[in-house]
Amino acid sequence: MELFLISVIILAVLLLAVAVYAVMQKDLLYATIATGIISLILSVLFFLLQAPDVALTEAAIGIALTTIIFVITIRNTSRREDEILITQESEASKIDDKVKANM
Amino acid sequence: MMEILEYIGLAMVLIGGLFLFLGALGIYRMPDVYNRLQAGTKASTMGAMSVIMGVGFIEPDWFFKSLIIVVFIAIANPLSSHALARGAYRASLTPFMKKKMDAYEKEFQQKKED
Amino acid sequence: MKKLLVLLLLAVVGYSLYKPLSQVEFGADRIGDIENPTTVGAYYLSHTPSDLSVANVITAIVVNYRGFDTLGEVSVLFLAATGIGSILYRRRKEGEHSETITQPSSQLLQAGAKLIYPAILVLGAYVFIHGHLTPGGGFQGGAIIATGFLLMMMSYKDFHMNHTVLTWVESLAGITFVSVGIGGLIVGKTFLENFLAIGTLNDLFSGGIIPIIYIAVGFKVAAELAGVLDTLLSIKEK
Repeated sequence: MELFLISVIILAVLLLAVAVYAVMQKDLLYATIATGIISLILSVLFFLLQAPDVALTEAAIGIALTTIIFVITIRNTSRREDEILITQESEASKIDDKVKANM
Repeated sequence: MMEILEYIGLAMVLIGGLFLFLGALGIYRMPDVYNRLQAGTKASTMGAMSVIMGVGFIEPDWFFKSLIIVVFIAIANPLSSHALARGAYRASLTPFMKKKMDAYEKEFQQKKED
Repeated sequence: MKKLLVLLLLAVVGYSLYKPLSQVEFGADRIGDIENPTTVGAYYLSHTPSDLSVANVITAIVVNYRGFDTLGEVSVLFLAATGIGSILYRRRKEGEHSETITQPSSQLLQAGAKLIYPAILVLGAYVFIHGHLTPGGGFQGGAIIATGFLLMMMSYKDFHMNHTVLTWVESLAGITFVSVGIGGLIVGKTFLENFLAIGTLNDLFSGGIIPIIYIAVGFKVAAELAGVLDTLLSIKEK
């Protein structure tokens, strides 16, 4: 029982640390990998807390499918968080220029 | 007979634990991606296979299940490591030591020309 | 500033989760006496083996006691897949060469994927066929099968899902689910009532309508997720 409690607490602390890393990270690819690691730890936690079916779902969907979908999305958009903001702003200013030119 | 099997299983679990520890040490100690991959994968493949087979020996009912898991690990673990190393090469991460031989260079150049 | 706001929000959510949960002692037995049930959980635990002869109580709750919720869940997944498909799906012109990935994968990976792919499909099918006996079920099995298709899509450039087949499989699975529910309405009193023989506990053919529904859900989830992945991977790079 003691060992069980200790392992659950260690995993929960790790989970929190990786989650904070994923939020603070500017590089979106790293953040995506971090969310994959969160799913991995979470599925182990679910298994320890006697919910093996939820652990199965988390392993299949959280680790494989969600990570891949995010990676594809990053490949098609932009990798860094600040770059997205910059491109959005520049495109918005382009549209503004067009509107002004038409006026 | 059963006791002998149990001792064999325990010894295999011990060896597996040692290999897993060495793999973790290698990941900590090695300088670059390729060395870390090779230390981590080789040691952890051997370690995990040994631990799981040991469990199969301790509990003879689980022997075939653990055999299937071992076969799966023997296929999947080196493959994933190979894919990771290839990805690292494609991302042009330089090795720690100077390259003496580079078999991939030719292949990728040929593909670029195609 | 945004990061701080996110962390603050997380802290608020964490506190509001912690506050009610802190009343309960960690690992405390909240279900109570199973023989004389006072809570819903104890009722399910005590009545599932005799009422439905299903070994996995969670499956009994998800598919039988709360079957209508599962129908809603499946339709939510269907709507999500439809949304992604309607935004991103592009019909390939005849003879158009379309590639799912930009980088070719190595021969080793292709051979390994060919070895592992059938094993993953068999595991997924096992998980949803044995949903009423062992942990797992339709959603888990479907997701596992979708990861098998994903492996093939990532290792072979010209591996594509046939969207006509996917549509048919998904529609037939959905129709099976609803018609089993309507069968309950015709034979018994309520929608999704168990109207088949329940069999003996721990048999493969037991539990009445539960295995049928879970097999349908498994096919449906696998088809939806595989379709979504194929659509996403076929996007042309900008």
